[in-house]
Amino acid sequence: MKDFEALKNIWHGQTELPKLSYEDILKNIRGTKSKFANKLLFQVIALIFSIAVMLYVLFKNDFKLGTSQLGITIFVICLLYYLFVQIRDYRNISNSENMLDKPDEYISYLKSYKHRRYILNTRVYRIYMVFIALGLALGFIEVFFTMSVWQTALAIIFTIGWFLLCYYVFMRLYIRKEEARINEMIQNLERLQAQFKEHDELV
Amino acid sequence: MMGTKEERFKTIFQANSRKIFHLCYGYTGDHDSANDLMQETFLKVWQNLDKFRNQAMISTWIYRIAVNTCLSYLRVEKRQPKEELTENIIENQAEEFSEKNEQVALLYKCISQLEENERIIITLVLDEIPYAEIAEVSGISEGNLRVKIHRIKQKLTEIYNRNERL
Repeated sequence: MKDFEALKNIWHGQTELPKLSYEDILKNIRGTKSKFANKLLFQVIALIFSIAVMLYVLFKNDFKLGTSQLGITIFVICLLYYLFVQIRDYRNISNSENMLDKPDEYISYLKSYKHRRYILNTRVYRIYMVFIALGLALGFIEVFFTMSVWQTALAIIFTIGWFLLCYYVFMRLYIRKEEARINEMIQNLERLQAQFKEHDELV
Repeated sequence: MMGTKEERFKTIFQANSRKIFHLCYGYTGDHDSANDLMQETFLKVWQNLDKFRNQAMISTWIYRIAVNTCLSYLRVEKRQPKEELTENIIENQAEEFSEKNEQVALLYKCISQLEENERIIITLVLDEIPYAEIAEVSGISEGNLRVKIHRIKQKLTEIYNRNERL
């Protein structure tokens, strides 16, 4: 039978050391920083390139219908919004101020962060998809005029079918999965929060 | 300027890394995860280093970061059941183990059977962090903490003695 003092002696007898040295940590810090900057830079370049292509198409082509211009404009706005969301999230991740909060408050922050991400991945994503679809549909109207009736009908059926499949099958599956994930996370966080709150009721 | 920051970081790392490692190891019951968490903790320490300038108790803030890193870690990672995990560690590293090391491994195994907040508190107690500092780190009043520590000590001793007999 051992008492707590004996356990303390065992604890102080441990020899296993962390694998990481101060140099390893610094190397990783630099690596993470540049990886983050490179990823962000790549995304910004890709998005700027896409926007430039869209604008080039918009101004260089002599569109007969205003719907084409409207479609491309919606597309460009969607891309700009995506860029904004990416940059905002990366900034939130790199800004680690909340790490200094009390555990109870930090768990609250985690819960609200997870909830915000959930809204973004479900509701906002759904709206984003609807606008992308609208942009594409408007852009295609003029293209349909250059095709035969059958080709137009087929293209419309295919496009509508594809969007229905995405919206009702893929997106619902994705949202259901996301919902299950977030619910589990929130449950776990609430359990942890209860553990830290419990102490105030002890005395 | 960077040199000065690195020097400060080095001093902080050398003074605290061992205890932070113990905390992370106690929380996860897994050596590799403990290293991951320790790295994550010191990454956040580096990012917040300028804010520590006027803090008298740097260690308190580092523990706070470590605790929050631990709390968020389990939310992201799906882990193996801790019982099975620790058994594996004991088996895999058997050759390196003296009796003393076996006792340490068993102690970690027993800690991993406690609730998350109990794991955090008891590793800090075992590392002889003053109660006032543990209270500050965990956001629990000192009075409540003393009651809690008393219970955890009893619980851990009981689990250890039960496991040692097996």
